[in-house]
Amino acid sequence: MAIEKKKRSFIDVFDEYFDDMERELDRWRESFVEGPSWNLKASTMEPLKNMRVLPTEVVVTVDLPLTKESSLKVKALDQRTLEISAEMRRKMSFKELGVTHHKGEFQRFHAHMQVPVAVQMKKMKTKFKKGMLEIHLPRKQKR
Amino acid sequence: MTEEAKIIEKRKIPSGTIMMFGFPDVGLVGVIAASHLIEELDLDEVAYLDSTLLPPIIVLHEGLPHSPIRVFGNDSVLLAVSETPLAADTIYPIMYALIDWGKSKNVKMMVSLSGIPLEERQDAKELKVFAAGSSPEMLKTIKDGGVEILSEGYMVGPQAIMLQRCSQLGVPAVTLLAQCFYNYPDPEAAAEVLKGLAGITGVKVDVAKLLEKGEEIRVKARDVMKRTQQEMSNMKKGQEYDIPMYVS
Repeated sequence: MAIEKKKRSFIDVFDEYFDDMERELDRWRESFVEGPSWNLKASTMEPLKNMRVLPTEVVVTVDLPLTKESSLKVKALDQRTLEISAEMRRKMSFKELGVTHHKGEFQRFHAHMQVPVAVQMKKMKTKFKKGMLEIHLPRKQKR
Repeated sequence: MTEEAKIIEKRKIPSGTIMMFGFPDVGLVGVIAASHLIEELDLDEVAYLDSTLLPPIIVLHEGLPHSPIRVFGNDSVLLAVSETPLAADTIYPIMYALIDWGKSKNVKMMVSLSGIPLEERQDAKELKVFAAGSSPEMLKTIKDGGVEILSEGYMVGPQAIMLQRCSQLGVPAVTLLAQCFYNYPDPEAAAEVLKGLAGITGVKVDVAKLLEKGEEIRVKARDVMKRTQQEMSNMKKGQEYDIPMYVS
């Protein structure tokens, strides 16, 4: 039986490539088990955070409401990893957060972040205003 | 209204009300504003959305199940609120169901409460409120209410579909957008959108408590914001930053 081989256009190849990539991404997403945004053992909550890679710098923002500026710590664990922690002005219990089936309270925010490009950690600058932390990391320029 | 998405009424719905919408979106402006309206106006649940399009979620309040999309109200206002972000492919049928139902109740105006992301939000000294209307008459109402018109640009999400559907059906409608954080709950923006609402509709509430509890709201809203970020990304919300290219 002769099998007629259909000629594929450039668009077909392109579509197929993106379909494969989409499937891979779906598999990757599914491989993560969703966890809570808090750690009861450490009494910490994970803050909302965002990172923007700009041509000359990386800007990280972290929402740290109800925190004391004096307790804020931003550490570079290595050339690509940031650790952020801050103490809250008052403890917040699960009950206050509208959860009655867990017991416990939180008093700190804690987060880790991986910077996807090379930056100069030593030149890090931070700004804290109304509970919002902004971190500026100049990018290492290629020679 | 379709079998996939229908509104179940829990009590008699008055005619001629103003119907508002507060759905999870940028800065959670609509949801935070809606939650404050419910508290300040002492609104009761009057109806809810029953839909197979929603994920298998119920919201438990005092041990009893509730739909994540509910309509609160009194004699003069109705307020549709969602406690879960809408997936991009469910926005049309769900919004159509709510709007068609509101039209059947002869609402005199529909108002979406939402936000518009501001790039340098953290440094903004004041937050502007913009609005778009469903008709030239509504643009005049917006101007008379002291709110600036968002004349050009893209709008993405439930508030966009609300405006379009109302325009098609001839229902007077406004989408109010306060400048806000894209990714973070923004109670200050919610307070501004409520001031805009007061100017256009006369529905006034004191926003002092909302501002006072702002940081607490930001702690509580983290998880909803996180889920909303995922849906915003799916619905290409970032297009609101785009420079439009008009085809005339």
